[in-house]
Amino acid sequence: MMKEPFGGLILNVAFRMLVPFTIVYGVYVLCLGEFSPGGGFQAGALLAVGVLLARLILGFDTKFNVLGKTSVVMAGLGTFLYAFTGWLTIFGGADYFLNYDYMPIVLEPKHEMHAMGIFLIEIGVAICVMMTIINLLDAIVKRGEDDGSVE
Amino acid sequence: MQIYIVEAVLLIFLILITCAVIFCKDILSAAIIYSGFSFCAVLLYLMMGSPDVAFTEAVIGTISTIFFVASLRKIDRWCK
Repeated sequence: MMKEPFGGLILNVAFRMLVPFTIVYGVYVLCLGEFSPGGGFQAGALLAVGVLLARLILGFDTKFNVLGKTSVVMAGLGTFLYAFTGWLTIFGGADYFLNYDYMPIVLEPKHEMHAMGIFLIEIGVAICVMMTIINLLDAIVKRGEDDGSVE
Repeated sequence: MQIYIVEAVLLIFLILITCAVIFCKDILSAAIIYSGFSFCAVLLYLMMGSPDVAFTEAVIGTISTIFFVASLRKIDRWCK
């Protein structure tokens, strides 16, 4: 994010301790969103916090980063995953969008198919939210640096 | 009965933090104090029995503080 990172020794060590747990917790919230509080939006925001902290503390040259137009492309891919799940059910013969009874992969209890479809769209929402937050930070930081309108 | 006292204290904290953010002349300090508003709101949502909203508020409070501080690079820190 910044040209020069403003992390010291304490911030670097705290980053290495905190961020793996943050990311694992994000995946946990995504996978167990049906039993516990959370879901796709919260998981995406938690995953984005890892990248934001890496940019703030380790600087823009960190390995743990999402560069350039990748964030926009991945946000579009997340939205596409959501829509694709709906199209799968439509092509399976459903009467309305996201009717999980008509998923192409048939599992024996019906609620298993519901759980799988909801999990697919939650993954799409998580990817879209994570990449949109990173893209927002890109837009805030880079405004005025390219065309020099501010400084 | 005690839970109402804790809730009243949290609500008073919310009002005080909002007044502090409004009247603060240092925008960086205002952004940091505003994260305290988010924290009190998280506790209030938990008391009202909605952990889902509280979780979202906690995460978004952190991210919005990062955004405020990042946008401070472009504007003046002190307001006249």
